[in-house]
Amino acid sequence: MTHLELTHIHKSFGASVAVEDFNLTVKQGEFVSFLGPSGCGKTTTLRMVAGFELPTSGNVTLNGKDLTYVPPNKRNVGMVFQSYALFPNMTVAQNVGYGLKIAGKSKNEIEERVREMLSLIQMDKFYSRYPYQLSGGQQQRVALARALAIQPELLLLDEPLSALDAKIRFELRQEIRRIQQKLGITTIYVTHDQEEALSLSDRIVVMSQGKIEQVGNPFEIYNFPQTRFVAKFVGSLNTVTATVVDPAKGIASFDGINLEIAQGLNGKNKGEEVTIAIRPERFNFLAEQRKENVFDCTIENITFLGSVVRVQMKIGNSIFNMDTFNRPSLKLPNIGGKEQVTCSNKAVLVLAG
Amino acid sequence: MSQMFATRQRKLWREYPLWNWVGLFPFFIFIVFFLVFPSLRLFTGAFTNQEGGLTLDNLKVFENPNVLKAYIMSLQVSAITAFVGGFFGFLVAYSITQGGAPRWMRNVISTFSGLAANFGGVPLAFSFIATIGQTGIITAMLKKACFNLENYGALAQFLASGGVNVSDITNVCPLNPYTYGFSLYSLSGLVLAYTYFQFPLMILTITPALEGLKKEWYEASTNLGATPAKYWRDVALPVLMPSILGASLLLFGNAFGAYATARALTGGSIPLVSIYIGQQIRGDVLGNPNEGYALAFGMVAIMTLTIVAYSLLQRRATRWMKS
Repeated sequence: MTHLELTHIHKSFGASVAVEDFNLTVKQGEFVSFLGPSGCGKTTTLRMVAGFELPTSGNVTLNGKDLTYVPPNKRNVGMVFQSYALFPNMTVAQNVGYGLKIAGKSKNEIEERVREMLSLIQMDKFYSRYPYQLSGGQQQRVALARALAIQPELLLLDEPLSALDAKIRFELRQEIRRIQQKLGITTIYVTHDQEEALSLSDRIVVMSQGKIEQVGNPFEIYNFPQTRFVAKFVGSLNTVTATVVDPAKGIASFDGINLEIAQGLNGKNKGEEVTIAIRPERFNFLAEQRKENVFDCTIENITFLGSVVRVQMKIGNSIFNMDTFNRPSLKLPNIGGKEQVTCSNKAVLVLAG
Repeated sequence: MSQMFATRQRKLWREYPLWNWVGLFPFFIFIVFFLVFPSLRLFTGAFTNQEGGLTLDNLKVFENPNVLKAYIMSLQVSAITAFVGGFFGFLVAYSITQGGAPRWMRNVISTFSGLAANFGGVPLAFSFIATIGQTGIITAMLKKACFNLENYGALAQFLASGGVNVSDITNVCPLNPYTYGFSLYSLSGLVLAYTYFQFPLMILTITPALEGLKKEWYEASTNLGATPAKYWRDVALPVLMPSILGASLLLFGNAFGAYATARALTGGSIPLVSIYIGQQIRGDVLGNPNEGYALAFGMVAIMTLTIVAYSLLQRRATRWMKS
């Protein structure tokens, strides 16, 4: 069932277009991330849902009610800010209970709900602390509890983890997902961190220059990027310009090397140039397993990235990266040595846009 | 134990080498000569007689009703100008930080405030005398803006119906402040002159606090259902209050210690403590320097309390702004 609907949203600041023809429907309880680089319009879109910005045109509908011109304090939408935005003059309990106080709830109701929320974020012991006495991660948990305390119809999170260090970010990410699933609350999450979006979301909206590039679940976004931007922005990617050799059989060529493409090259003409892409983890050494495409290569560099080893290699005149799991049995080639690598024809993507 | 002490000493020297402190020496020398020594002289002078013997007799000056009157007048002038200057200064600072005033206006006001806050004494008094004194240029202009009531029949009729003898009123100058009893050389004139340097000082001191108000606090409160009025009541004003009170105390202290402006403007006709002390020390009228020291000692005590309260409030404001 559609819970939130954004229809033909357009937002301009003077001559500058921030969001262009944005259309999206979000189901009840769904976790949707807006993913994109800085300035792509993701936060502006979120702020239009919150009511802090008015769309130049288009509509925001929540539960069938048109919210487009409803002021932010009448929307019943909870929001968590990047900078936490806890009120510095209030204790943790007062911060969490503020929305309920404004709503005119009784002291007992507020007390009960505050305790419940603090228990949910596992911060019962911090009831009387002030924000300046908390770490960044703790402040963000309180901000989340404050947003949830009013029992909003929709939860908005604007890059809530970007001010935190990596370890806390990872922990809090899991915490956010756990709480969201427990409460079943519809959530919009803005981030420029693809790992966050991929690990948290039911669906991801990839944005660039104010437009939606692709909407899909994390698996689709990562494995079947529909545009060159999505392919490049989500995960790392090897791209090379190739020439169509046989459109019917899906064969193209780069640097004089043929490669087979499972999705085919329908609609392309022989001799036409196409951009093809292969994810680094889709390569493996021929000695391990043989797949449709086999390439001779020269090893240029090897980098350890913890659980992954990145091998930089030259195929023809083009540089490619190959990622392989780091394991004790892994036999790494010598730098400058000649090797053979392989990849499936399904691993080769033809990029549009 | 002594080894521990020596290690600690070495660590201190390593962490704070003398070289790093060299830049502070001129400041310290200045403070010693022009704050510490005069304060000591003031303290000893307050408790010695003119022959140099120890005495508490100088403190009897506080039993003098004129002295008490001077203290009350000084406190009144300081409180009024702190309030008036603080109020208008806050409004201006709000306009240039949160009110969306253009950037150029903000720069102009900041520069003006920096100059005006330090413009006091005889030049300030003279500029007020030259503009809104009895024969000042603005007063002269305002005196010219007159009309004859006879030419305004309806108004004359209205006033007559109220019992006013309109035949006595032929030439009305409604913009001339002196017709309403104002005098630059009175308390109201002094308040006006002090406000000239008080409100820019408020702008300078409160602007950083207003800049520290995060836009997200407002958005978070409205997101939780609050109206702008509730945001100001529950968040902005409580956050700003230590800074507002601290800045007001600073304004209070600034006015409390002022001497030259009042002296030049009123010639000593308004009994302020600072003027009373001047009279005691110069000796042209009263001439008991030790009583002057005792009076100044009282002022120092009030100023010390003000500074301590200001520091405590600033600490609280800074602590909140940290989060």
